[in-house]
Amino acid sequence: MSGVTLSNIKKAFGPVEVIHDVNISIEQGEFVVFVGPSGCGKSTLLRMIAGLEETTSGVIDIEGQDVTHQEAARRGVSMVFQSYALYPHLTVFDNMAFSLQIARRPKDEIRAKVEEAARILQLDQHLDRKPSQLSGGQRQRVAIGRAIVRQPKVFLFDEPLSNLDAELRVQMRMEISRLHNQIGATMIYVTHDQVEAMTLADKIVVLKSGVVQQIGSPLDLYDNPDNQFVAGFIGSPKMNFLTGTVAKSNSGASDTVNIRLDEPPNSIVSLTLSGPVPKVGTAVTLGIRPENVETGDVTDADGHAAELTLKTEFTEELGGVSYVHSLTESGARVTIERRSDRNHIAQDHISALLPTRHLFLFDADGARLR
Amino acid sequence: MGRISPSNILLLIFTLIAACAWAFPLYWAIVTSLKPEPEVVGSLSFWPQTFDISSYAFALFDTNLVRWYINSIGTSVLITGIVIMISMMCGYALSQLVFPGRRVLFLVVLASFMVPSQALVVSQFVLMHKFGMVNTWGGIILPQVIIPVVVIVYKQFFDSVPRELREAAKLDGCGEFQILFKLYLPLNWGITAALSIITFIMSWNNFLWPFLVTTSEEMMTVTVGITQVGDSFGVQYARDMAVAVMAAMPVAVAYLVFQRRVTQAIMLSSGIKG
Ligand SMILES: Nc1ncnc2c1ncn2[C@@H]1O[C@H](COP(=O)(O)OP(=O)(O)OP(=O)(O)O)[C@@H](O)[C@H]1O
Ligand SMILES: [Mg+2]
Repeated sequence: MSGVTLSNIKKAFGPVEVIHDVNISIEQGEFVVFVGPSGCGKSTLLRMIAGLEETTSGVIDIEGQDVTHQEAARRGVSMVFQSYALYPHLTVFDNMAFSLQIARRPKDEIRAKVEEAARILQLDQHLDRKPSQLSGGQRQRVAIGRAIVRQPKVFLFDEPLSNLDAELRVQMRMEISRLHNQIGATMIYVTHDQVEAMTLADKIVVLKSGVVQQIGSPLDLYDNPDNQFVAGFIGSPKMNFLTGTVAKSNSGASDTVNIRLDEPPNSIVSLTLSGPVPKVGTAVTLGIRPENVETGDVTDADGHAAELTLKTEFTEELGGVSYVHSLTESGARVTIERRSDRNHIAQDHISALLPTRHLFLFDADGARLR
Repeated sequence: MGRISPSNILLLIFTLIAACAWAFPLYWAIVTSLKPEPEVVGSLSFWPQTFDISSYAFALFDTNLVRWYINSIGTSVLITGIVIMISMMCGYALSQLVFPGRRVLFLVVLASFMVPSQALVVSQFVLMHKFGMVNTWGGIILPQVIIPVVVIVYKQFFDSVPRELREAAKLDGCGEFQILFKLYLPLNWGITAALSIITFIMSWNNFLWPFLVTTSEEMMTVTVGITQVGDSFGVQYARDMAVAVMAAMPVAVAYLVFQRRVTQAIMLSSGIKG
């Protein structure tokens, strides 16, 4: 069954359109994460689903019902705000009971539901406290509790963990994940923390300037990005990008291209594509993830890998993993990730190989060439 | 803190003198009211030679003071209630609701705040006269319930309530009235208390309007009523002072009890003026 469907959604604030023709379909019970850089419209989209922001055009459908012009309270959605937005004058109990009291539910029912939510979230001990007497994590839990008691069809989270410290964040992330398994409701979660996105999501929606860049499972986006933006956005540290031009292209039985990197000699890579090949002279970008850059005495086994001489700028050694930040001779940045082998990373100059099977090719507009 | 420097001592002496200068008329009124009339006119003393409370007895039993008290309490309570109610709703609308003409409306409120109420007195009187409301409670109360500064103070405070709280309440199913009464009002109890007290004191102390709109002694408030005492009995200082002291008593007590709130309210409204 469909949980939430957005069809041709647009949003303009006055003359400025900030959401451009967004189409997303979310299954019931799915955990979907919206990611994207600051100002890309994640919150706006979420608030439109919540009914806090009017929809300029398009249709929002929740479990088969067109709610585009329905009041927020009637859509069957709950929202957890970044700032928690707890009612400061009410106790934890009353904060969670508020919506049920407004709906004039019977007292015993309210008590039962609030206590159930408090039990799930380990808030039983704090029901009589005011929000100001709680820690950040506890406040966050109350905010989630307030969302739970309404038994909504859809939970909306807008960067709910960004005010917490790192450790608490990991813990709350697991709790949200557990909660999702427990109650099985559709959840839409906005963040710009990609670790949160990767760990929580069944499906990630990557947004940029109000346009959907790609929708897919976390690993799908990682392994098979549709464009340079997604490739650069998903993954930490970022994917490395090197520019080049097409030196030779064969279309025929096997579509191969030779690409000359904008680096000193000997850096021609040959790639096999399944789609149409770009013309000779086209500017392209090659991408490779930091963990796939090979260093040391590796030999060019399949004969296609590009070879680079890198100058080390600085190194981050975290024990289990090390990151070498380096520059190519033309000045492009390349980050190398090493898990076990720390031998080569102390050197000033590293010779590196970029294996073709790990290379991504993008055209000048950032679209993926496969 | 700690050591007292000469300049501090000087300052202390100065403020003490200033305070005495302020307090002296009050003291003089109370002392005079406690003297028998011949002593008041006969000698100049800072303390009564014989205490005489007959002036108070006169004020209570031989004037309409009790009636005026009731009128003052009645009108002030009603005015305060109405002012708070409509200003709160008006402030909420200006602060939170989106409707055409909202900015213009706010400017109108601001502008009317710049007009001194005395300037409106004549046209208000004509209006009340045409409505046939002279010498009625409605006539006393209605022109006093418009206090733009209260609207503006409410708007300012409602503006500073975080937007998410309002949105959370909306998602929880609140309508605008519920958002106002269950969220914005409880979050601003302090300011409501301060504004209520100062509105009450202002309407209790109001003289000009009730003086114009009431001609029958039955309808007068305390402030207007006391002016009648001298007229009908000739100048009797002790009695006049006793009446004046009793008229001022409720406000003085209210001020002493709610001192902090009153100062807060005065600072709020003058902060906006400045
Ligand atoms: N009420 C508004 N009026 C005008 N423009 C707005 C309004 N709200 C948001 N915008 C604009 O819409 C765009 C998207 O904003 P939005 O808050 O959705 O970004 P976001 O992706 O949530 O960013 P962040 O990660 O910083 O929270 C921004 O360019 C912002 O300036
Ligand atoms: Mg946001």
